[in-house]
Amino acid sequence: MRKGFPAIVSLILLLVTVRCQKAGDAIKIGVAAQMTGAEAKMGNDFKNGVTIAVDEWNSRGGVLGKKIEIIPGDDQADPKQAVAVANKLVNEGVIGVVGHFNSSCSIPASDVYNRGTVPMITPASTNPKLTLRGYRGVFRVCGTDDQQGRVAADFVIHKLVVKRVAIIHDKTTYGQGLADLFKEHIGNDGDVVYYAGIAKGDKDFKTVLTSIKEKRPNLIFFGGIYPEMGLLVKQAREIGMQEPFLSGDGSIDPKFIEIAGVNAAEGTYLTFSPDPRRIPAAKTFIDVYEKRFGEIGPYSIYAYEAAHILLKAVKEAGTTDGNSVIQKIHSLEFSGALGRIRFDDKGDVTEAPYVVWITKDGKFTEHWRTGQ
Amino acid sequence: MFFQQFINGLTVGGVYALIALGYTMVYGILELINFAHGEIYMLGAYLGIIFLGLFTATGLTSSSLPLLLLCSILLSILVCSAYGYSIEKIAYRPLRNAPRLSPLISAIGMSIFLQNYVMLTQGATDKVFPHLFGSHGFDLLGARITYQQAFLIILSFLMMVSLQLFVMRTRMGKAMRAVAQDKVMASLLGININSVISLTFIIGSGLAAIAGIMVAMYYGLVNYSIGYIAGIKAFTAAVLGGIGSIPGAMFGGIFLGFVESMGAGYISSEYKDAYAFLVLIVVLLIKPAGIFGRSTEEKV
Repeated sequence: MRKGFPAIVSLILLLVTVRCQKAGDAIKIGVAAQMTGAEAKMGNDFKNGVTIAVDEWNSRGGVLGKKIEIIPGDDQADPKQAVAVANKLVNEGVIGVVGHFNSSCSIPASDVYNRGTVPMITPASTNPKLTLRGYRGVFRVCGTDDQQGRVAADFVIHKLVVKRVAIIHDKTTYGQGLADLFKEHIGNDGDVVYYAGIAKGDKDFKTVLTSIKEKRPNLIFFGGIYPEMGLLVKQAREIGMQEPFLSGDGSIDPKFIEIAGVNAAEGTYLTFSPDPRRIPAAKTFIDVYEKRFGEIGPYSIYAYEAAHILLKAVKEAGTTDGNSVIQKIHSLEFSGALGRIRFDDKGDVTEAPYVVWITKDGKFTEHWRTGQ
Repeated sequence: MFFQQFINGLTVGGVYALIALGYTMVYGILELINFAHGEIYMLGAYLGIIFLGLFTATGLTSSSLPLLLLCSILLSILVCSAYGYSIEKIAYRPLRNAPRLSPLISAIGMSIFLQNYVMLTQGATDKVFPHLFGSHGFDLLGARITYQQAFLIILSFLMMVSLQLFVMRTRMGKAMRAVAQDKVMASLLGININSVISLTFIIGSGLAAIAGIMVAMYYGLVNYSIGYIAGIKAFTAAVLGGIGSIPGAMFGGIFLGFVESMGAGYISSEYKDAYAFLVLIVVLLIKPAGIFGRSTEEKV
């Protein structure tokens, strides 16, 4: 063994260096989100949206003369896994990352991306904390929960005019953050008769709902994502509660209606950005997406735009150097399938209106805007 | 509200009890904690959806829904029992004479293998169980009980009573109790140990399959990881009631369901999962063998 040892070590070192030299001549873009598990649909929506964007660029010759390649990373909605994925993507030398989905993943991952000077644009993480940490390279193309919570509270107080509200959340950064911001914006204009958290991944909420039913609220707010939202609404109806539910952008996925059932989900309010179908530029994307991948998800178009922004910035910067690309994202104005996008100093979009949607006949439609 | 929480607890408890029975029976006979048992429950849920999907795809839905459902359930139980039998043959029987740790690790490995197998073949996203029953129900003592819930509770009890009758009143049941008491002596008396052990696994898997299908129908949502937490809770229930004791597992399951329901309803829903384990700690501190367990003495 002693004699062969140096040989084995040098062989291993040789293989390692050979692997490193294979750093390809393709430009890599990372896509990070949950690809397996309860919310895997969201991650796949991201991947599909980015794929369409990358194919559009590749058909025009790629960027900076090189082809673009997508490197997916599955963070399983677990913050620890998200950091591992972030490290992997940075080591692969991606020019930017479209991701993550959950705020609880985007926030720790942004530490890694910041250290590696890799720009990160999240299509869906709405927790305000993400852009308050002073990282130049962190952006989002969606709104923040502060804006969402405000619109939701506004709707409840001025349009629905209800007094008693029950609030539940799923104990995640996003879910609890949104619930707290909603509670804050309701302030003294309403009575919060119940406030508690449920465990994400749990299936039985009848106990919690029974406790809520006791308190006779007029509306139930849920901060969380569609698997739990679907079950909550379904089970609420099963124990005889007919009060409407209000939730945020995490629940506005067709799967919510599938899980809850069309009858139970009818009349549920959801806050989300305005319908992209109203924007002509988005129509082409939606048609291409539906032909290629089937039903479009709520965040597919955001991931698509995020990819476009990254690639456009690389093209304008003329280099893949992290700092230059980040500079360009801050300074440029982008015009695409979501309309006009500009980023402020923190990395948030300058205009991000939220509107209230409603489920009607098994579909989501815009219902109310502030000021109506 | 109390009665509603009571019904909620009974529903969840029934499911835990059915899965716990599998754990307790296997432990009674082999002194092995079958960690892969939770995955059998998960497989039952998936198979229910798959068979129902198959039947509806071949256009038989309109004819007779209850009959189709029954067929799906029976087929699912069959396949799960086959899984249980195979797992015992492949992962545990070769290690029958190995130190206690080896089959345990084998069980953990089997659990991981089955989870990933389902994830890779069925996809990583949640599968939705088709909505066949509406949320129709009836009101009783101020609580609203859906027909599905009632069906679940009744079926759980039926299964538990059947198992108890089987173990106590039939010859095969007697053989199982004999093997659990003393394997070597039982074999000397002419009992085929391997058959008895295989039967134990088959019955345990069948019960877990029933629990899985009912859960799939009741909640409407399954994914490859539901076996894990259900398995842990059911195992807790089995230990709480006295591992190795069949009435113990039944009691433990229902009791656990109540503890969760009442704790989450009256104290705080945030710590729902914690109540079960808290109770376990308290019970084991007072009675280490579990509520119905017999402390085993070592004869020197």
